[in-house]
Amino acid sequence: MQTFSNRSVRNGLIGAAATLALGLGATSASYAQTQITFSYLWGGAEGQALEEIIADFNASQTDIVVTGVSSPDTTKQLASMSSSRGAFDISDNFASNVAAWADQGILLPLNDLDIDISDFPESAMKQLVVDGQIYSLPIATHNFQLVYNKKLLDEAGVTPPTTTAELADAIAKLTKVDANGNVTQLGLGLSDVSAGLKTLGYAFGGDWNRGDEPSPTDPGFVEGVQFFFDNVVAPVTPEAYNRFIAGYGPYMSDQDPFVAGKYAMIFEGEWRSKFNTEAGMDWGVVPVPGKTPELLGSTWSDVSTLFIPTNSPNKEAAGVFLKYLMSPPAMEKFSHVLGNLPARLSLVKSAAYDDLPNFNVWLDALNSPNNHGLPASLYMVEYNTDLVSAFDQILQGSQTVDAALKSVADRSASYTR
Amino acid sequence: MSTFRSQHSGWALFKGLAFASPFLIGFGVLYAWPILASGWYSLTDFSLFKAPRFVGLANYERMLADDKFWKSLYNTLYFTFVGVPVDIAISLAGAHILNMKLRGQALWRALIYLPSIVPVVAAGFLWRWLLNAQYGFVNEIARWFGLAQPNWLADSAWGGVSVLILMLWTVGGTMLIYLAALKDVPVDLYEAAELDGASHWRRFIDITWPMVSPVTLFQIIVLMIAFLQVFTQPFVLSKDPGLTAQSAVGPGDSMLTYSIYLFQNAFMFLKMGYASAMAWVLLFVTLAITLLVLWSAKKWVFYGNR
Repeated sequence: MQTFSNRSVRNGLIGAAATLALGLGATSASYAQTQITFSYLWGGAEGQALEEIIADFNASQTDIVVTGVSSPDTTKQLASMSSSRGAFDISDNFASNVAAWADQGILLPLNDLDIDISDFPESAMKQLVVDGQIYSLPIATHNFQLVYNKKLLDEAGVTPPTTTAELADAIAKLTKVDANGNVTQLGLGLSDVSAGLKTLGYAFGGDWNRGDEPSPTDPGFVEGVQFFFDNVVAPVTPEAYNRFIAGYGPYMSDQDPFVAGKYAMIFEGEWRSKFNTEAGMDWGVVPVPGKTPELLGSTWSDVSTLFIPTNSPNKEAAGVFLKYLMSPPAMEKFSHVLGNLPARLSLVKSAAYDDLPNFNVWLDALNSPNNHGLPASLYMVEYNTDLVSAFDQILQGSQTVDAALKSVADRSASYTR
Repeated sequence: MSTFRSQHSGWALFKGLAFASPFLIGFGVLYAWPILASGWYSLTDFSLFKAPRFVGLANYERMLADDKFWKSLYNTLYFTFVGVPVDIAISLAGAHILNMKLRGQALWRALIYLPSIVPVVAAGFLWRWLLNAQYGFVNEIARWFGLAQPNWLADSAWGGVSVLILMLWTVGGTMLIYLAALKDVPVDLYEAAELDGASHWRRFIDITWPMVSPVTLFQIIVLMIAFLQVFTQPFVLSKDPGLTAQSAVGPGDSMLTYSIYLFQNAFMFLKMGYASAMAWVLLFVTLAITLLVLWSAKKWVFYGNR
């Protein structure tokens, strides 16, 4: 088992530096520096933010030099972890892969990093611990709330809903269809079909993974999916609904239907705060409406994770860098630049996020009992793929909600547990 | 004498093997060994990272009850059995036009071939906009002529057709091969037929078709293998523009091809054993169809005096 205590790393590095300095008569500290590679899936502005943090770390000490590499190809990431000597020492992914990758033995257990995990939300850590071992650490968390276009709601005289009954009423008032039956505005849209319908399932007291088992036919979950079909798709017909959503372009671009004012409301993650503001939108956000008052703000937590692969050539130095990334200042800087939620509860009240409008709605959900975390499960990727296929069949109108989710239940019998 | 001959032939064998070694080593390491290894992995529970565990024929048995396996096989065979004949028909017809004495013919030939050199991914993203149900050029043109304007990429009835359109967009490559074949047909055969009063259709059926039939056989086999392995076109067309990286593979999984499902099993679900078994099934399906085509070729391919 590798250990990562600061002292042992420091002693080791100092010893190596001293040997080199004495043996070679060298005076340059660069001989003792350990080079490590941080391969991250982010790119663009997010990648630049990471490079700033990497530069901060490199400037903060002389023992380790981190090189950042933007590599958004997850297949390549996985393939490089299959060799005996890895191409990178630290990388990132999402919580849904943790259990399967830990089971394959490609993630280094991180318990010995001695990081106090009590500051991380339980809903996040639940997804990163397998058999008592921590296999990844949360650099940011995400949850979904109801984001709305203020102008469209004001024009329709709709106040932001707090219950699913009010939500149904708002959808009806905010959906517009022209004389030819073409949808021109949708009351409630889904920027991510899977995330949106799962959120609705929780809003109806359901759970698509109840008891840490796939539960696609859970009554509350079925009711949530049925709610979307009955209130959004059926009134305009599946054909008109699909024609309308097919007309729009990439997510968070000028062709995004929410940006274009074609969706009045969407279930969205916290990153939308920064984006909407930069896009000059007049927008608001409220907790996800619940079927009952107790279910108000029901949502689920996804986690951006950092991990060290078992084939990392420099595990100890990677551990030192990982600890730095998890430190409150680095995490605060990272999450603020990306407009993501921090993974530390102690940062929830930080003034650093004050310049992100409405961000507190997502921040407050970090401490909410209605913020659900998923367990680390081997089958999660396959289960998600099957759910997405079923949702598609439902929205196409080619299968009923019950039949589509029953077919997922049937397939789930073959999942690896 | 015999010792000398023996030594000489041994040296010649060594030299021969040495000269052939770049191919032999390359073939052995890059082809033969992975093929044999995948055969073994298909009988195991294997994930790339852990040692394979022998499970016998369990992976093959699982396919029988896997509805997505059958869906992907159906889609792939649909693309193949519709796409290959249509590709051949368009190519042959187009080659005739390119063989005419037209003004600027060299330019037309270059334009027809142009899509074949456009990267598939770039072409896929271009066609995503061309086929956009509300704002795409394809539906705009259909509107001019008062035709139906399908929801190409979001209607399960049209998802497969969209993939076929993207695949047939590169028909120029096949067309140029046919053009070369048409150039090889002796002109005197046409002249003799014309003297006998044969119509254009008669000349095509009795002269052109038999004379280009060896090329047609080659085209069918090459195209069939390409269609059976299709991956990039449906993968790009079905890419969800929303938040998720990849949702269902087309509406109603209508673009889920065999290769995409194999990829999902291997690299998303880490079921490399199951994916290997799928690869072997695809090999045998391809082999069976190829043998069927070759068997039928005896009845319709004309090799002249050869």
